[in-house]
Amino acid sequence: MTPNSPMCEPTPRSWARNKLERRLDTLLPFLVSGLGLGAVYALSGMGLVLLYRSSGVLNFAFGAIGAMGAYVAWSVLQQGLGLSWACLAAVATAMALSLGYGRLLAPRLAHRDPSIRSIATLGFALVVMGLTDWLWDEQPRRLNLPTDAGGLEFSTAIGDVRLTTTRLLSLALAALMMLGIGLLLSRTRIGLKMRALANDRELSALLGIRVLQVDGVAWLLSGAFAGVCGLLLANMVRLQATLLTFLVIPAFAAAILGRLSSLPLTVLAGLAIGVLEAVSITWPGYAPYRSATPFLVALLACLFFRNTTRKA
Amino acid sequence: MTSFKTPSRTRTRTRALALTALGLAASLCGVSAQAQSCGLNNGKKATGQPIPVGAVVGKTGPDDFSASAGAAAAYFNCVNSNGGIHGRPVDYQVADDQWNPEVAAQVASKLVKDRKVVAMAGNTSFVECGANARLYAQENVMVVAGTGVPRECFFARNYVPLNAGPRVSATIATMYAARQYKAKKIVCVIPNIPSLGNWACEGPKEWGRKNGVEVQTLTIDPGSADPTSVVLQAAAQKPDAILFDVPKGLLVPMLGAAEQQGLGRKIHFLSAAPAYNVEVPKSIGAYWKDNFDTNLEFQPLESKGPDNQNWLAVMDKYGKKDDPRDTFSQAGYLAARLLTETLLKMDPQKIERASVTEALRQVADFRSDILCKPFHIGAGQRHNANNSGPMARSNGAGWTPTEPCLQADDPELADVRADAQKLGQK
Repeated sequence: MTPNSPMCEPTPRSWARNKLERRLDTLLPFLVSGLGLGAVYALSGMGLVLLYRSSGVLNFAFGAIGAMGAYVAWSVLQQGLGLSWACLAAVATAMALSLGYGRLLAPRLAHRDPSIRSIATLGFALVVMGLTDWLWDEQPRRLNLPTDAGGLEFSTAIGDVRLTTTRLLSLALAALMMLGIGLLLSRTRIGLKMRALANDRELSALLGIRVLQVDGVAWLLSGAFAGVCGLLLANMVRLQATLLTFLVIPAFAAAILGRLSSLPLTVLAGLAIGVLEAVSITWPGYAPYRSATPFLVALLACLFFRNTTRKA
Repeated sequence: MTSFKTPSRTRTRTRALALTALGLAASLCGVSAQAQSCGLNNGKKATGQPIPVGAVVGKTGPDDFSASAGAAAAYFNCVNSNGGIHGRPVDYQVADDQWNPEVAAQVASKLVKDRKVVAMAGNTSFVECGANARLYAQENVMVVAGTGVPRECFFARNYVPLNAGPRVSATIATMYAARQYKAKKIVCVIPNIPSLGNWACEGPKEWGRKNGVEVQTLTIDPGSADPTSVVLQAAAQKPDAILFDVPKGLLVPMLGAAEQQGLGRKIHFLSAAPAYNVEVPKSIGAYWKDNFDTNLEFQPLESKGPDNQNWLAVMDKYGKKDDPRDTFSQAGYLAARLLTETLLKMDPQKIERASVTEALRQVADFRSDILCKPFHIGAGQRHNANNSGPMARSNGAGWTPTEPCLQADDPELADVRADAQKLGQK
């Protein structure tokens, strides 16, 4: 058989497969980059769903709380106190802020319309963001983690790409938290109380559930999520209060796609938004506007899941 | 009779003279580091009829761009305490445009039409060039601006920025990359901001076309939360160098992402002037030590040149404690000095807007060691007289100068250079 024989010519199917493989190879670096970011969107989305499922509040201050936690971690690192203390400080700050709002302000709005309760958190977000900007000025800062150096290396047609250990940890954390929170809500007594509270606060109180205590646990857990996400986003994105505050939008989109109830769907949606935003840098006309991706997804989610959004 | 001294006595006297000279020089340096010189420099407070001078700055908004006006205010305070403009003090009025073009137009109109300012000095705003350039031309008021960023600031008849601007700065950095690193392919990263994204990287591109260097532009979304994809996309073009023309707030995370991807060891990284900030080398860390270069629009902040030292001395005595000592401040100081020296050459009783504008258009040879070359204004349709600048490299804790002055060879500057020649500059 000669090389020119018809048998050696690529069939349309193999040509299409080769083309797809080449395209995937070109996209791989951005898939890898987007997965890490998507994992943090997923974690943030879960933080929102957790609070919503227990207290019925969609917390717009999630990003601002995480941002302040990240700035505190940066300050701790600057004092040379080490990463463990920095992480602890970030999570503790976020938990304190979240609990503070959950115990002091949220109960006063408990009997108001759900949209008013959610908009109030937006006000809290602006206060926390302003305070963060005031305490730490606009100087450029970086929050490095020791896990940034290592990771999995991939060779692609357009160059090497590294899935850093930080991003791997984010993915693992998203999967673990999905399982953990799922179990907490469905299999534990406190989870049952949380769900009861979200369903009907007054009836739950009449049944003897200690409303403030259960609410407090939900705000505390949501704060812990915000602290972890703030740290990771400050590392992967940038340490800037305004940006981190408004990164609640992709998390919100993920939560809506998860219909504010399904944790696996929220995780998948978070990952998809992260990957979509990263891959869209390769679309020439759209790339300079790709930060709109999570907003577009949120808009579409609101459109297609109108009942869920209205409920929120 | 000719007397001859013994060699040892000559040596002793020479040494003594040298020590005295050294002592004098040291004391003079000490004096120049503390004392300041401005205007008539006579120590008398100006009490005559005030001369209204204005400025529009973007103070409140995404960033505080008021440092130029802060430095200009300090300089005018110094002038007013030292005889003013032949006895007349400068009444410096600064307005905040809040990064809003509508507000920029309102406050400029108030300064120009109501307060009747004779000129403006130290303006620095992201929005006012587009909003006010026409007003300034119509009202025949000249703006000696501190720092201009968008294209409109460099394409207006009555707007004269002291800085080089993002296009010139990027061109100089590109020329440096080609010469220093033999870069043949460069990716220029720029945000998709109107009048910036579609203009600033064209300078490097046009220079590259003439000099056999391929320059590609990567327009990015500054609001995106994903710096890693930006550096991966830039690296995918297989360049020898990546040039950032982005604000420092975006630059630092992008360098962080490049570090995480190990790109700093394969590709040279450079930046236009926004990277020149004392905090940037510390923020980006040890990985970029001797591995990241930036262009400067002026001489380094710690330069020992007498005018740079005078800027610092003026800021110390007449500025506010929290006024930044940065390139914006250098630019504002220069703008105020240029206007003051022009006013001092005029008859103090005939200082009015038309005569001041005319006098400013005659400025042909303003000199300062903060600038690489003499500065001019002239009668041209646009102004970009500062088109040379130094380069510096991150040393982990600060910047090490690597190139004293490099002139941008941007074809777009042909008209500016022709104007300079008409004014007698070489």
